[in-house]
Amino acid sequence: MEAGLEHLSRGTGRHLSRFVATIEPYYRSMEIAKRVAGLAAELGIGDVFVVANKVRDEGDRKAIGEFCAAHSLKLAGEIPFDPSLLDAERAGKTPIDFDPSSPAVKAIEKLADTLAATGNGQRTTPESNG
Amino acid sequence: MPCCPRSRRSQALMRVAIAGKGGTGKTTISGTLARVLARRGREVLAIDADTTPNLAVTLGVPPARAQEMMELPRNMMERQQQDDGTMKTVFTADSEEVISRYSAAGPDGVRLLVMGKINHGGAG
Repeated sequence: MEAGLEHLSRGTGRHLSRFVATIEPYYRSMEIAKRVAGLAAELGIGDVFVVANKVRDEGDRKAIGEFCAAHSLKLAGEIPFDPSLLDAERAGKTPIDFDPSSPAVKAIEKLADTLAATGNGQRTTPESNG
Repeated sequence: MPCCPRSRRSQALMRVAIAGKGGTGKTTISGTLARVLARRGREVLAIDADTTPNLAVTLGVPPARAQEMMELPRNMMERQQQDDGTMKTVFTADSEEVISRYSAAGPDGVRLLVMGKINHGGAG
């Protein structure tokens, strides 16, 4: 099973307010994202999104846009292919500590804005665990 | 307006799950997103539920600290049948206590919990 799915099927997904499926601009990863997004929607998670990663060019953008449109998936963000992520790893640092102004980190900041701005599934008070 | 017992909880609670195919950037996005939200003043608890956990790396929890982190004992969670017939996985331990005992601290005040790791060689 892909990471994340096994936990959802145990029923813990009902407590979530946002679900984000990561994709790359190639068919196999988009198919899996479609499946996990569908499962998340079935579990009643308010807001289900797709985030595209390692986007290199207009062709990638087009492929992702078409796939999302064809399957009614909400695209919450697009993270460009960013060599600084690899540089960060080689330097033994996190992306945000290595270069907070890198294109990928900037795109993740925008993703944070988008996630914070959506409200369908959010709960404003912490739940008890009982 | 809902009452906010702690100042860092003044922003609406978000519970975000990130899933996807291996290699698509779940760990990079999760770790960086957690740090971005923490820098904006949110109280962030990151939960690594991957069978090969490595969120500590992109979150910035020092490797030595990540190594010595304790896995959550399975008996802290219990499956209980609800009135409507559905099953629910619940913590039988106090969540604040679980967080303070089992989580590691990272930069910007983020906390990391690891659950889901496969401990037996060859099992993963």
